[in-house]
Amino acid sequence: MRDAHTWQEKLRRTFAYSSVAGPLLVLVVVFTLLCFVPKFFTLRSVTGIINAATLSGMLAIGVTMLMISGEFDLSVGSVMAVGGYLFGHFSMSGKPLLGLMLALLIPALLGAVNGLILVGTNIPSFIVTLGTKYLYRGLLWIISGGAMLQTVEKLGIYNVFNGRLDVINDLFKGANFRTSLFWLLGIGLIMQYVLTRTAYGNHVFSVGGNPGAARGQGVNVKRVKVVNFAITGLLGGFTGILLFSQYATVRVASGDGMELSAIAAAVVGGTLITGGYGNIFGALIGALTISTLRTGVVLMNIPFIPADNFEAVVGVTIILAVILNNWLRKRA
Amino acid sequence: MNHIATIPDRDYIVRMEKITKKFGTITALSNVDFGVERGEVRALLGDNGAGKSTLIKILMGVHQPTSGQIYFEGKPVVINSPREARAIGIEAVYQDLALVNLMSISRNFFLGREMVKRIGPIHWLDIRKMNEICRKSLHDIGIEIRSASERVGSLSGGERQSVAIGRGVYFGAKVLILDEPTSALSVAETRKVLTYIANARERGLGVIFITHNVHHVYMVADSYTVIRHGQHVGTYYKGELGEDDIADLITGDREY
Repeated sequence: MRDAHTWQEKLRRTFAYSSVAGPLLVLVVVFTLLCFVPKFFTLRSVTGIINAATLSGMLAIGVTMLMISGEFDLSVGSVMAVGGYLFGHFSMSGKPLLGLMLALLIPALLGAVNGLILVGTNIPSFIVTLGTKYLYRGLLWIISGGAMLQTVEKLGIYNVFNGRLDVINDLFKGANFRTSLFWLLGIGLIMQYVLTRTAYGNHVFSVGGNPGAARGQGVNVKRVKVVNFAITGLLGGFTGILLFSQYATVRVASGDGMELSAIAAAVVGGTLITGGYGNIFGALIGALTISTLRTGVVLMNIPFIPADNFEAVVGVTIILAVILNNWLRKRA
Repeated sequence: MNHIATIPDRDYIVRMEKITKKFGTITALSNVDFGVERGEVRALLGDNGAGKSTLIKILMGVHQPTSGQIYFEGKPVVINSPREARAIGIEAVYQDLALVNLMSISRNFFLGREMVKRIGPIHWLDIRKMNEICRKSLHDIGIEIRSASERVGSLSGGERQSVAIGRGVYFGAKVLILDEPTSALSVAETRKVLTYIANARERGLGVIFITHNVHHVYMVADSYTVIRHGQHVGTYYKGELGEDDIADLITGDREY
């Protein structure tokens, strides 16, 4: 292995061999190309892209950690709706702090239930969470009676989680930064730290990379998986809080399909679907890339691709990004 | 049939006596005696399905024997889990289950026993120190690595085996269990791995070398235990039997 003697070598090792190199490259290419599209490179659309990436980015943090440990969570979109509903319901009846606590606690429990079913039955998590995806939405249907929550009341707590940052927005014309961005970056930073700099993070990678070896070294594989599912659920609930804080509305169907957006962000961000490899920053870059493409394609107004068919472009990008990530990983 | 070399004052680290294991109505092991002494390489030989891995899983605490007793350093012990086995100093190195290929050498080396620094509730991995110790302790038993932060996946099969062996030695293993450590290796790599095994023996460890092929182990082993169909065929010390004799015992072409 090359030792980092010169600063060029050091730069090469920290960047070119890092797992965020691929995702970052994709984002830069996509962004640069789209700068030729009129109205794209404006503060308005750029902050809009960031806002649109925040919710799936927040989900992707937990989902990425879970995928590194070798598991999937298809139920996280439903969990997010449960969290959003609990927070909204109690906020609207004057108990926002109780709502906040329940919107974190119940989703964490639902996540832990996914994990416990997995380790208890050995059914693949893809199947377990496919089941609970429908089950949890059904539970929400029961507790909500299918009714949509909506409020015009503006509570301070909504601004704490996902309000307009008028202090900054007033400085830059057209900017629309929101407080949720700080939550996303803060939690992303903490989780990346946990993953790469703590013993628990080491165990997460080992459980996904080679469960037999992890078990052989005394790592409690089942516990790591259950905890990771609980964290994913917790962050799902938190995403629901961000959702309600931004739109002041939540439905039984809220967050449907978000679980796949989060997985897409994770894999564009370099996380291996087979486990043992991945990066939170990569996932956030992945979420931003997908959001950038959506806005870009809509603004481009391509004749063959109608604006509402941006998903085809996103699909192609997912595949190309993963090809690039694989190539870079094998070179490293 | 039950030939056991009875030389007095053998210095057994671990000894398994009259181990029987039944899975339902199937008897996987019946009255098997096994063990390893301080500073020796003991070969555990048997054909596929002879009961080698069941015996080792009992020693590692994965299975509990139906009857029989395990003694560790002379004292009777019950080993309930691989964690307990490791705590008393029994370390297993499985070919595919030893290391995580996508992780660095030092992260693998310290997996489950990470070195952390902490201030109050906040703690973090002492990566610099782990790299240093990993590199130095592998160097001490004759294993040279390019960098402790290199991924295990980029190492050769022999290098991986040696890292796993070095890890066991560093963490104070008294018994090292190696499952077919050389079967997938080139001749040159096999020679290297055998050197590390010999180094571990010089340090006073007991090494259990599991294989179905006596050829892999004949030169390095000090004693040989052969099992067949869950029965203890015999234990022989170096020089008692030739390579071909042992091969015949494994297959059952000859009875002693």
